[in-house]
Amino acid sequence: MAVPNSESLKSNGTYLGRRIARSDGVAKVTGRADYALEHDLAGTVHAVIVESTVPSGRIGNIDLAAARTMPGVLRILTHADALPLKSCPMVPAGSVMESFLPLQDDRIRYNGQPIALVVADSFDHATEAAGRVRIDYKTELAVADIDDPTATLIDVPGAPSSGLARGDAKGALAAAAVRMDVVYTTPREYSCPMEPLGAIAAWGNDGGLTVWMPSQWAEGARRAFSDWFAIPMNKVRVVSPFVGGGFGVKVTAHADSLLAAMAAREMRRPVKLALSRPQNFTGNGLRPAIRQKLTLGASEDGKLQVLIHENTSETSVDDDYVEGGAATARVMYAVPNLSSTQKLVRVSSFTPSWKRAPGEAIGAYALESAMDELAYKLKLDPIELRLRNYASQDPESAKPWSSRRLREAYEAGARAFGWERRSPEPRSMRDGRELIGWGMAGGAFPNVHTPGEARVTIAADGSIEVASSGADIGGGTYTILAQTAADALGVPFEQVRVRLGDTSLPRAPVAGVSQIANLLTGAVDKTARAAREELLTLASSHAGSPFKAKRVNDFTIKDGKIAPTDGSAEAVMISELMRMVGRDRIEVTRNTMPAEKASSEAEQRDAYDSFKYMGPPSSTHATYAWCAQFVEVRVDEDYGTVRVRRMVGAFDCGRLYNPKLAESQWKGGMIMGMGEALLEAIHIDRRYARITNNNLADYVVPVNADVPDIEVISVGEPDFHASALGGKTVGEIGVVGAAAAIANAVFHATGKRVRDLPITMEKLM
Amino acid sequence: MVKSPITGGGVRLRINGSEHLLQIEPRVTLLDALREYVHLNGTKKGCDQGQCGACTVHVDGRRVLACLTLASQVEGLAITTIEGLAVNGSLHPVQEAFIRHDAFQCGYCTSGQIMSAVGCIDEGRTESDTTVREYMSGNLCRCGAYPHIVAAVRDAAQAMDSGEGRSR
Amino acid sequence: MNNFEYVRATAIPDALKAVARQTGSRFLAGGTTMVDLMKCGVELPSALIDITRLPGLDTIEAGPTSVRIGALSRMSDVADHPTIRKEFPVLSESLWRGASAQLRNMATIGGNLMQRTRCSYFREPGVYGACNKRDPGSGCAALEGINRGHAVLGTSPSCIATNPGDFAVALVAFDATVHVENGKAQRRIPIDDFFLLPGDTPDLEHPLSSDELIVAVEVPTSSALRRSHYLKVRDRESYEFAAASAAVGLELEADGRTIRDVRIALGGIATRPWRARTAEEALVGRTFDEPTVRGASRLAIEGAVDHGENRFKIDLAPRVVARALLTVGGIT
Repeated sequence: MAVPNSESLKSNGTYLGRRIARSDGVAKVTGRADYALEHDLAGTVHAVIVESTVPSGRIGNIDLAAARTMPGVLRILTHADALPLKSCPMVPAGSVMESFLPLQDDRIRYNGQPIALVVADSFDHATEAAGRVRIDYKTELAVADIDDPTATLIDVPGAPSSGLARGDAKGALAAAAVRMDVVYTTPREYSCPMEPLGAIAAWGNDGGLTVWMPSQWAEGARRAFSDWFAIPMNKVRVVSPFVGGGFGVKVTAHADSLLAAMAAREMRRPVKLALSRPQNFTGNGLRPAIRQKLTLGASEDGKLQVLIHENTSETSVDDDYVEGGAATARVMYAVPNLSSTQKLVRVSSFTPSWKRAPGEAIGAYALESAMDELAYKLKLDPIELRLRNYASQDPESAKPWSSRRLREAYEAGARAFGWERRSPEPRSMRDGRELIGWGMAGGAFPNVHTPGEARVTIAADGSIEVASSGADIGGGTYTILAQTAADALGVPFEQVRVRLGDTSLPRAPVAGVSQIANLLTGAVDKTARAAREELLTLASSHAGSPFKAKRVNDFTIKDGKIAPTDGSAEAVMISELMRMVGRDRIEVTRNTMPAEKASSEAEQRDAYDSFKYMGPPSSTHATYAWCAQFVEVRVDEDYGTVRVRRMVGAFDCGRLYNPKLAESQWKGGMIMGMGEALLEAIHIDRRYARITNNNLADYVVPVNADVPDIEVISVGEPDFHASALGGKTVGEIGVVGAAAAIANAVFHATGKRVRDLPITMEKLM
Repeated sequence: MVKSPITGGGVRLRINGSEHLLQIEPRVTLLDALREYVHLNGTKKGCDQGQCGACTVHVDGRRVLACLTLASQVEGLAITTIEGLAVNGSLHPVQEAFIRHDAFQCGYCTSGQIMSAVGCIDEGRTESDTTVREYMSGNLCRCGAYPHIVAAVRDAAQAMDSGEGRSR
Repeated sequence: MNNFEYVRATAIPDALKAVARQTGSRFLAGGTTMVDLMKCGVELPSALIDITRLPGLDTIEAGPTSVRIGALSRMSDVADHPTIRKEFPVLSESLWRGASAQLRNMATIGGNLMQRTRCSYFREPGVYGACNKRDPGSGCAALEGINRGHAVLGTSPSCIATNPGDFAVALVAFDATVHVENGKAQRRIPIDDFFLLPGDTPDLEHPLSSDELIVAVEVPTSSALRRSHYLKVRDRESYEFAAASAAVGLELEADGRTIRDVRIALGGIATRPWRARTAEEALVGRTFDEPTVRGASRLAIEGAVDHGENRFKIDLAPRVVARALLTVGGIT
């Protein structure tokens, strides 16, 4: 079936940069995209997790008698007889992956912890039997949440966001003419990808393990299984060609896929384990509750002198997960004196994980709200205040920006929004019984780089296959890699097939930190160019070649045809040349490791299976994506309900490989920010330290009717310090600043500053 | 009266025009029947409790949630899933519009969105963006493709209206 | 979900016979409440009597004196019925503002009246032992728990669970009657008697015996029903239960200012759909203007008791009532 494209693909020239429809579109709209739990294996049995219903203590007696006699039950695993597992130290404990391993001891760490696993012949049988497992607990005191009076603060001096200092923050604050300190709180929030977590696992006769699971990082998951089960990496295969949303929770493997693999080993047959939606809440994927205190000192004319950021966030019993909020504050403004500290509160919870723009999203909410408050205090337009503090270089490192078109973003956004028509006074705009508010905020998201590997194959028929284990979590990796290869090889876009998300393919690091597009386009471009070189070497030197030209540089490839640039011979289809030179394929694999490390297998493993090589893409420049967001809200005077009526986002993300797909990412991020600003909060019942709204009716995310027209504008230009092909990060910047822009608009509408998200009706009534 | 005992009898389902005789218990939902027994995996399980719309299918031409429908209940009725929407290898106008407007990212809610969109158009709920938003609100999309979904639904409705497309 | 016997009834007598045959048998209509609560482990029927194919129960008759809606009519069909949409707006609005298009295509009117609370403690029996509604005498975990969504009216020390209905609120405002059959005699239950207050027995929600089947609801027509409105306020714009809602109707005297008849019922804030008769009485005979309406609307929450997080509902509900009335009265 043909892919409908808004523009003809026939035109010559480059594919990168064009609004090409998703190449996986047909598979997705026909229901044929195969997500993890849709792999049908003969003999598959079903596993269902039994969770603890108390938050802390020890497991006492487990009574399995009733459950065992239920129809279809094959096996029930508990800590008493489960396979001992090894730990997996691939990333620092708590940084994104929990150290907790299920069914290894009798200790209860959180309410919802997996404590038994029922395996049965059908999903219904396993589910019903799981409900019949009876467990006695020896309960202990739990710490419910960040505000629990029994909670204690822990210092984490080593955290990346901790102990930062430039200048003399204390002294500058004492000297500042205008001072302000404010506390912003944000609740636990969930990623809630539409595809729940789960896995199918099967062990082969050779002791090899295959796991079908939704993963943002198949290589990382492979490493985890290898470590947990103490089997060699090459005995593990993780398959994840389509991922039904990740937003951070699918970065690493969790207890669900681990237990599927454990049960499959025990059962000697394939096991499918699908977490229920409530289990997705009680088990994984939260941004912790966070308290940010910001202290600002400025001159009368609005020059920031000092910024102090004090962050307190929740973590788990086992790990020190840090969600620092200071990252944005460090780079947004030219503030000479700055300090940041980080403290943790250990609560009876599982270890938090990334949620889209961890650190940046909540950090920008606080910083950009505080800037708005300062603007009102100084009676300055919020954009004007920001321009007075515009950082012309990285205030942290004093390095030049690789590109920073934030000024252009402010301008383009303001123009599109009609900002100049804003009446500055709060409560000064209304329409009937609705107060109207206009607010804005900015945001930043760093560019990071990790090496990647790719394989490009030219087949006998001239078709191209691009292969990588990297993920497409919806960002469009399939499409932009096909564009990249088509450009590098000079073949039509439709001639390129991309395979992703399978560890049997060349290795790639995590699809997180918005890095995968930039690093894989770089890897594929490099590899495809090498394949082109090999092809043209055949054209120029093989006896079977019809061409006289003797140098690779003497050829061009266009629309899949090879011709000498000087026109001395007729063009020949790639497939024809392959036949003439007697080749059935050209296969090239390359990586983007630093040359001196590329030959070391150990270094390669670290690059793709850990965060060791993740770092800034440039040593000379500071590289960030930037945005400015503008929002109109309507607040009903009676009910206090906030509805977003317009959103405009202007983004500097460098070169866009495919604007159609980048725009979708930006809008999606802005909508997620809307949820954070107005709707989303986990409710914890302190008595049980348990999430009560563990479902999609009670944890409210935006629905279609909440979302207005959204205009997005690109102000970026290619930035080759940021990435090989000039792009900057796209996937997460949309959520950065969105909540602050909404909160600022709410203040403009109502004159009420709500410093505690989400801004629900009772806070405005 | 039709009785099916606890041990399960045969349930005859008519899915996308084909008959399937399934040996399933009465408690098996239409969603699990499709995915686990007929291996039609296009219909997605997002919440399994009527709160997300990912499992939307058509029963006798109306959009419903397969997760809260028992398979036994729809015995003999016409069930259409996403796999039954494209006919003779050509995409339904709604499927085409979803691709054209980039009305999805991860794709997991997409089957449900499209089945719901076809229903929304059949019901004549496409006169304004506001109407489409309201009548498509039973389908959550965490990637936030909503504005593009609205554009796709209105576009497809127009195409189908002007005869370029075809009705279901 | 537990397993059960599935029986598809094709005639009303068969259905009634089947449901009486063994204890624990329940009727199954659209399934949107029943199947959901079975998955939660709250409902554990021994048999489900599928009534969706019973003939003749899905008719909608909009006559001059009453609207009679067959119990198996789907929410969407009633909401979209041309006469109901045009003549009796509150009935249509209270339906299409509920749930989602898909759920409304499934859920029946009879089932809609039988929908059960969304209380988190009720819905997770494996975790929260204390729920008098589920397990009489076990206590109420919501009293000191997360109760932002819970009721402020009609509560008891045993239960503060909110009735989640929308359509039922309209029925209560306009004095509907529920028609019930049990194979012997037809019975008509005034809607006011159909929803029981929790009191000491929150497990008893309706006066139906287990072998009784709702066959229809009937709403008497009135001028107020013709000038009616359902207003639903919630955190998000759609696909969510009400934080507070109001079904209202208004009839003015010939002078166009004096209130002759007014109907007010509230949803989302009470243990049952809540008729606000005191507020109605305070308005009849008065001139329709904003201060009068706002003043009387405050009477709608007489006797309200909060449990902490849900305190805002006491402020919110009268405003919702007032705005609904102002809307039908043309003051926007």
